[in-house]
Amino acid sequence: MKTTTAPAPTGAGTAPEPRTPLARRLLETPEVGVIAACVLVFTALALDKSTFAGAVNLQGMGFDLAQYGLIAIGESLVILTGGIDLSVGALLGTSVILMSWFNVRAGLPPVLAILVTLLIAGAVGLVHGLAVTRLKMAPFVVTLVTYTVAQGVTLAITSGTSITGIGGLFSDIGQMYVAQIPLPLILFAVVAVAAWFFLERTYAGRQVYAVGGNPEAARLAGIRGDRRVVSMYVTSSLLSAFAGIMVLGRMGVGSASGVGVGWELSAIAAAVIGGVSLVGGQGRIVGIVAGTVLLELINNGLTTLQINSNYTNIVLGCVLGLAITADRLRARSVARRN
Amino acid sequence: MAPDTPSPGTPSPGTPPGAAYPAPPAAEPETAVSLRDVVKTYGPVKVLDIPRLDLARGQIVAVVGENGAGKSTLMGVLSGTVTPTAGTVEIAGRPMQPGRPDHSRDMGVAMVAQEFPLVGQLSVAENLLLGRRPQRAGDGALGRLVVDRAGMRAEARALLAEVGVTGVDVDRPVGRFPVPVRQMIEIAKAWGHRPVVLILDEPTSSLGPVEAERVLALARRHAAGGGAVLFIGHRLDEVRAIADRVVVLRSGALVADLTPAEATEERMIREMVGSELARADLAPPSTVAREAVLAVRELTADGLGPVDLDVRAGEIVGVAGLMGSGRSRLLHTVMGAQPRTGGRVAFAGADFRPRHPGDAVAAGIGLVPEDRKAQALLPAHSVRWNVTLATLRRISRRGVLRPRADKAHAARIVRDLGVRLHSQEQPIGALSGGNQQKAVFGRWLAARPRLLLLDEPTRGVDVGAKAEIYGLIDAAAQDGLAVLVASSELEELLWICHRIVVMARGRIVADLPREKFTKETIMTAAAGSAPSAGGKARA
Repeated sequence: MKTTTAPAPTGAGTAPEPRTPLARRLLETPEVGVIAACVLVFTALALDKSTFAGAVNLQGMGFDLAQYGLIAIGESLVILTGGIDLSVGALLGTSVILMSWFNVRAGLPPVLAILVTLLIAGAVGLVHGLAVTRLKMAPFVVTLVTYTVAQGVTLAITSGTSITGIGGLFSDIGQMYVAQIPLPLILFAVVAVAAWFFLERTYAGRQVYAVGGNPEAARLAGIRGDRRVVSMYVTSSLLSAFAGIMVLGRMGVGSASGVGVGWELSAIAAAVIGGVSLVGGQGRIVGIVAGTVLLELINNGLTTLQINSNYTNIVLGCVLGLAITADRLRARSVARRN
Repeated sequence: MAPDTPSPGTPSPGTPPGAAYPAPPAAEPETAVSLRDVVKTYGPVKVLDIPRLDLARGQIVAVVGENGAGKSTLMGVLSGTVTPTAGTVEIAGRPMQPGRPDHSRDMGVAMVAQEFPLVGQLSVAENLLLGRRPQRAGDGALGRLVVDRAGMRAEARALLAEVGVTGVDVDRPVGRFPVPVRQMIEIAKAWGHRPVVLILDEPTSSLGPVEAERVLALARRHAAGGGAVLFIGHRLDEVRAIADRVVVLRSGALVADLTPAEATEERMIREMVGSELARADLAPPSTVAREAVLAVRELTADGLGPVDLDVRAGEIVGVAGLMGSGRSRLLHTVMGAQPRTGGRVAFAGADFRPRHPGDAVAAGIGLVPEDRKAQALLPAHSVRWNVTLATLRRISRRGVLRPRADKAHAARIVRDLGVRLHSQEQPIGALSGGNQQKAVFGRWLAARPRLLLLDEPTRGVDVGAKAEIYGLIDAAAQDGLAVLVASSELEELLWICHRIVVMARGRIVADLPREKFTKETIMTAAAGSAPSAGGKARA
């Protein structure tokens, strides 16, 4: 048998891929369910309440989606490496405060305030990554520390008083429309496409999956997994701060009332609903975005239907339960076929 | 519980065979176990197919066969851990419900496994009486509920004494005892069930010569007392010494049923490997270059060395040794997967100090690790992702992977290696062991390394795929790769290597050219000062 894998004559390299029926390919695509659910929920709500699909409501959802979606992507990148980042929400809140503090109290121009805040967030992510890779600390614990400290920092800086008088740049970013589309939504789309490109089209992205899927196998295959893991923690923290810009711009004040706390759970929920495996190594951007969209549709839909907001979390929890059950069943049926 | 009456009293280790074991009641049938048309398939692969097999009382039947020949499956069927796809099993004339370990145990099958299912945190006594109560325990409600500690201890000591172990504190957790003692405890545990059929799965592989002899004596005693013993052995000398009958399995089928007189080592090996491995072309290719690709000098690492070793281009060098002798450590240290503490390595003429396996891959070294699932595969991901893992950077352009190039690259690897699959997008976990292993080989051959490190390259691989993998190794050497292959299967090394180095306690203790290859030399060297324990090379 010839075993060299030197470049074969042109044309001979592509073995014929057997065509699988569309239905089966759809079944084997993990994201199908959540995308279908998005379409279903949207259609149902739009038919029931004409205001739901109205421009104003859609734009409002766009703003929300950008905030939640950005941290959901960051969160998912960390989960793909086999870790978890509990600090995304709290760090977003702290970034909001830091930016307004740098801008108003320290007198820095908005651009500089943003840059410094991003730098700080990046450093926090670096600490997370190094603690997880070098010290082999559990990601859950490491980011739990930040979750707690970040909330404390927010309180310490503001002493409970919101910071007012922030620069115009923030509201420009947070409230502007481009051709009727909210700017934050466009920025979110850009980030999502970039993340998709990184994960699906770069070798570094593939290595992230490998490290999450089987760290030892990746290491013995010569992949420097630690670098990938650290960079994902840094990206996650950066995206939290980036989302903070949108939040600050939209609210117009550096809110001391703990904005962002609890959002990490929505982010994790969106990732799981979108097919990201919590053990790492599995999940795609399409699913993560669809998961965020679904959560937002339900959240907003419940408001539109004027359902008591106290019930919102019950519904969201049930959706999460349904999603993971459906995914489990789907995975099992695929495994049986193989 | 077993139908036999429990043996009274506590015989000392020196008790003559048979004396402690009561003869079976005359009414019991002579056949202890009978299998009829037992078949086990996993998907399309038939791993066991036995039309008829009877085990008589009073006989020690040895089962031999290569790894993957179906020995474990056969034992699994008897002990109830494997549900046969078809067929019936009768124990002492009564049908056994397939796939029910508890039922099979109650009918009198006891198995001593290679990997001990002992609970490390529990004491010796608790382990020995796991799942049952002491014989003397009260039958009242109290006796049923409350653990009778004194009774447990006494019975545990009695059991250990029966199998010839003394001086073991039965209150200590099992996990604190060394492996040989744990193995003896495991045997005592099986013995405690007073079985009709005692299955011993390589019971002596982790034992020293004295304990091994005790276990063999115990098996003889059990047979003499009217029980049946199924003895799975890799050490053919041991098999010859103990068996009243030798059954040879190959690829799941029963290929030979030999009397002790017929069962010479030569004959057993011939039956085990079949015809395909008797071929002459298994000799390694004669393409050894003169210059060393890898030159290791006084290399030390945790549990390794100092080691001196040269591997030349086109040369296949085997690494033999007992379990824990440092075979894997040597490969991992060369690969940079384990930090070295001293010494020098020259690779392709230059000084080589890998700090991460990534350095080794960049320099041109590939490693096929020992535990495929834990160390080599991304089991949930596609074949394509798995085979391109070590060459991702190479096939990307400025860091970007182009889907078409990616797919073409993977297709080429899969085709060159003859990996059988539906689609390169299917999860690699769904392939058979042999095809998974070929995919791992493909991953490395695609990286065009100059040195290939192979750790147990055919573990968990069926016989056919084994031959293909040997072919791959041969071809790789022919292409000028240096190959360093560590294996616990001596036959494998004898067939494919130009040279074998034998390791013991982290050092190389022998370096044998092909003309000096014999199992005896290797085993003697591997066992160091105690040649009688040489069979541990199979561990």
